[in-house]
Amino acid sequence: MTAPAHPGYLPPGAVRPPAAVPATGPVTATPAARAKPGRDRYLDFLRALALVRVVFLHMFAWTWLPIVFPSMGVMFALAGSLMARSLSRPTWSVIRGRLRRLLPPLWLLGLIAVPGMLLQGWSAHGSGHSVAGFWGRLALWVLPLMDPPYGDPLPGVHGLLDHAWGEHAAGPLWYLRAYLWFVLLSPLMLALLRRIPWLVLPAPMLFCVVMQLGYVDFRPEIYSVVDGFATYGSCWMLGMAYQEGLLSRFPRYVLPSIVPFVMAVSLWWTLNGTNDEGGPQNLEDSSLGQAVWSFGFVLLLLAASPSWDEWPPRLKRWAGWISLLNSRAVTVYLWHNLAITAAISLFGLTWYVPVLAENVPWLLDSDWVPMLLAWPLIGLCIVAFGWIEDVAAKRSPRLFPYPRAPRSARRR
Amino acid sequence: MSRSRGRRAASRPRRRAVPPLRFTLPTVLLLTLLATLLLRGLVTNEVFHDARINVSVDKDTVPPALLTGGPVIDARGPGDPKSYRAEDHTMALTFDDGPDEVWTPQILDVLAQYHAKATFFVTGSMVTRHPDLIRRILADGHEIGLHTFTHPDLTLQSDRRITWEMAQTQLALAGVAGVHSALFRPPYSSDASALDDLTWPVVKKLADRGYVTAFIDEDTDDWKRPGVDAIVAAATPKQPGSGHIVLMHDAGGDRAQTVAALKIVMPRLQSEGYRFTTVSESVGAGTSMSKVDGFQLWEGKLFLGLAHAAVFVMPALIVLLAVVGTLVFGRFALMLFLSVKHARRTRRRTFSWGPPVTEKVTVLVPAYNEQECIANTLHSLTDSEHPIEVIVIDDGSTDDTVAIVEGLALPGVRVISQPNSGKATALNTGIAHATHDLIVMMDGDTVFEPSTVRELVQPFADPRVGATAGNAKVGNRDSLIGAWQHIEYVMGFNLDRRMYDELGCMPTVPGAVGAYRRVALEQAGGMSEDTLAEDTDLTMALHVNGWKVVYTENARAWTEAPGSIGQLWSQRYRWCYGTMQAMWKHRGAVLASGPAGRFGRVGLPLVALFMVLAPLLAPLFDVFLVYGVLFVDAPKTFTAWLTVLVVQLVCAGYAFWLDKEKPWHLISLPLQQLVYRQLMYLVLLQSWITALTGGRLRWQKLKRTGEVDVPVAV
Repeated sequence: MTAPAHPGYLPPGAVRPPAAVPATGPVTATPAARAKPGRDRYLDFLRALALVRVVFLHMFAWTWLPIVFPSMGVMFALAGSLMARSLSRPTWSVIRGRLRRLLPPLWLLGLIAVPGMLLQGWSAHGSGHSVAGFWGRLALWVLPLMDPPYGDPLPGVHGLLDHAWGEHAAGPLWYLRAYLWFVLLSPLMLALLRRIPWLVLPAPMLFCVVMQLGYVDFRPEIYSVVDGFATYGSCWMLGMAYQEGLLSRFPRYVLPSIVPFVMAVSLWWTLNGTNDEGGPQNLEDSSLGQAVWSFGFVLLLLAASPSWDEWPPRLKRWAGWISLLNSRAVTVYLWHNLAITAAISLFGLTWYVPVLAENVPWLLDSDWVPMLLAWPLIGLCIVAFGWIEDVAAKRSPRLFPYPRAPRSARRR
Repeated sequence: MSRSRGRRAASRPRRRAVPPLRFTLPTVLLLTLLATLLLRGLVTNEVFHDARINVSVDKDTVPPALLTGGPVIDARGPGDPKSYRAEDHTMALTFDDGPDEVWTPQILDVLAQYHAKATFFVTGSMVTRHPDLIRRILADGHEIGLHTFTHPDLTLQSDRRITWEMAQTQLALAGVAGVHSALFRPPYSSDASALDDLTWPVVKKLADRGYVTAFIDEDTDDWKRPGVDAIVAAATPKQPGSGHIVLMHDAGGDRAQTVAALKIVMPRLQSEGYRFTTVSESVGAGTSMSKVDGFQLWEGKLFLGLAHAAVFVMPALIVLLAVVGTLVFGRFALMLFLSVKHARRTRRRTFSWGPPVTEKVTVLVPAYNEQECIANTLHSLTDSEHPIEVIVIDDGSTDDTVAIVEGLALPGVRVISQPNSGKATALNTGIAHATHDLIVMMDGDTVFEPSTVRELVQPFADPRVGATAGNAKVGNRDSLIGAWQHIEYVMGFNLDRRMYDELGCMPTVPGAVGAYRRVALEQAGGMSEDTLAEDTDLTMALHVNGWKVVYTENARAWTEAPGSIGQLWSQRYRWCYGTMQAMWKHRGAVLASGPAGRFGRVGLPLVALFMVLAPLLAPLFDVFLVYGVLFVDAPKTFTAWLTVLVVQLVCAGYAFWLDKEKPWHLISLPLQQLVYRQLMYLVLLQSWITALTGGRLRWQKLKRTGEVDVPVAV
């Protein structure tokens, strides 16, 4: 195809090729064709932003936060793009490699959380499963094809973990479950994407519509698997499409002209609906709303994709932290919820100090102090459990991979 | 690498030179406007209006004693809640939802006639609307209780909303009469036995904030207008002599029956020994009203003042919205009508300017640091179908511009270098060196088609024509901001320019593509440095001197549009402020005679209306859009907004069709409209600030990428 993608750019024959002019035109190469060396700092920045937002949401439960930045969609899209890039290598080795990177951090969490829950009295009794079924389901902590089980309520540890710590520990695992399925299905998705891109890309969202209308129903455990796939499948494939250079087939003005209006309509629909409890619906309540909003948001982010080979000046001072979050993304994600629980419980101890409880109850009620407390705890988790990510990636393990700048650069 | 760093360093002082009010003032203005709308909507109970009513539920959590107790409930403090009944032979009439300008005075008259006292449960929005009635109620010795600000069912509202409803009503009450009240009645309530698991928490919540809740013994249902007799019967106690709290309404519709019933029931009960008094006195308590002073009083007065101002300002805003609506639609109508006329006239097969113009012309290319573009500009000129002489005026470039031009060694191209002194001076230098009588001016970053020069000079067959304007096209239209400007250019050149051409008052010959008669230029004194828009200034000068200025649609020139919002801003600021300067400079034309007077009395007012007034008011559209969608009626507001959009789309579509452009870029129109309105508003305000504070603007050069030169067929 030699015809321009955008009609009427310049009149044919009006301009001669720029014989004597240095080619200073903008680099419009597709991501796939981009030079290999270096990470795209833009994607790193998005991943770090998504992680920080997840921590904020789990601390404050602000319902507007997922609208401002739909983290999960962004994370799945980034992962999808990486997956598509890797799939130029033999399929099975790629899937094995992905699982090898993903699962050991989960096993480390399970190695601590599962015995912990069992010691606190979690057992087949009251779980609704037979003894064999109960122990069998623990295998989901090894290969989370469905959500791993957890004990609730538990006695907890006073001042450190509350009664729901099992739920807090297992809560974020749905992301790994969804990720696992996406990895397993990626070869198929990529093949379809290459053949019929405009049909498969929206397919998961359309399935959300089908589920919304109640045409299909599954057992709860299965439902959450299907629902997770339907909600974020389009985002994952969007990352793949970006990697494949599908998005740059459009003239640059097209997507940002249309997508915001589609997003606005979907958001309006979502926020005007009612959730299962009959209350006002927010983005987290609606798979369809979440799917469309995340898809649109990620589409805009990827369409804008400035491809930073080096950090823009304004972000330079954060570069170290962003790199740290990127190299410990799974650890931070797996452990942040327990860190938050611990921070709240620890800070709750201040109520036993009468001077504080009587004089500054508003301070003790505040979520901001535990938030400040949670970050060092997350740092502690990085030190304690983060090395497993290096081991999983066959790198030499590091305790705290904050990139050290060379001496000359640090002086500035 | 080093070049981009140099550029960044050079751009830094420029950023500081921008007036500090660039964003603050316009944003504050818009937000104030929105806040005004909100306040006015609150007072008229238009925003935050919530007509939902909850159904009643179980009564498991309500203390049983309350369900069978009296209608006045005091749940304040830590002990068990207590309820009270009206003392024997007392009658506490209560009037909800008011005050109302028609019925409340009549009720007050009746009460005064029988020397009776009563209690009015008022809503904050009504208090704000009728302060005089509140003052009269208090002066007559009646009691006032709170009935929330917007009359929602509180069981459906958040804690924060409930707090706000009460605080806002107290604020209004303090502002109106300098009092607060500790008596409260929830909207949609009845007697104490109707308390349930939803309403009891509300009562408790408000008790914690110091309120006593007053329910009723008997509902007269007077709001259903059941007939005077029914109201009288309901208001009469079933057991003669027992104390009674009765619910009536003084607002929300025709209350003639209520007034009539009062006139019957009051003398009858008084003759039976009943005393008409307030709710507080009927249960043997002191007054619930307390005086407010100091900060709270002034806060209340401020709120009331602002609310009244907001109500007062609304009609003015509507008038302004109507003005801008008329301007926008009037402009579209005028443009459509005149551009159809122009297109039909100039496209007729028999149309001609006169004998073909074939004489050689001079093309002036002012260039300041145009190394990315200059080669393509000159190459495009050498393809010209019309005989030309090209003069490149290098305005002290610091890059390779001169070397590139000399390296090309194109026949018929001369370079004249001058120390950097601005575009106007460069053009004057070029005019001085030009050897021909027709002079074409273009920019160093513009690319001509082979036929452009020929098309551009044909109108000079008419000896009255002093200048011609070509059709500038955006080359870099692939990006979002490029697409927006493409739409804008196509509309501007195919609708605006045809309109001005038909009216004989084209305000600007674009600097990118225009041709002049040398005599006309010399008569006007060449290019002037008086304004930032030397092209507009010169064009107006030609009009004043009686020359015709016409549009040639086929003289196309491809130009590179600003690639970022910041650059677009700078460019538009220069145009806008320059146009204002030029209009001021040539203001004398308004009173002139002949063609100059025609320009002064038709052209200048049109430019003032469409370029200075309309954009300044246009954000009203969006303020009303936000207000309407969020607070009033989203579907209706969207429909209105979409209608405007469709009209714009039709106009744009026609312009694209006239220019034989493919319509794809029109999908950017909705977003373009939103962004451009705000941008033009900001730019205009900034121009006004500059004009009023006498600030100066320095030359701002676009950052060039040379993108337009890259041919498409890759």
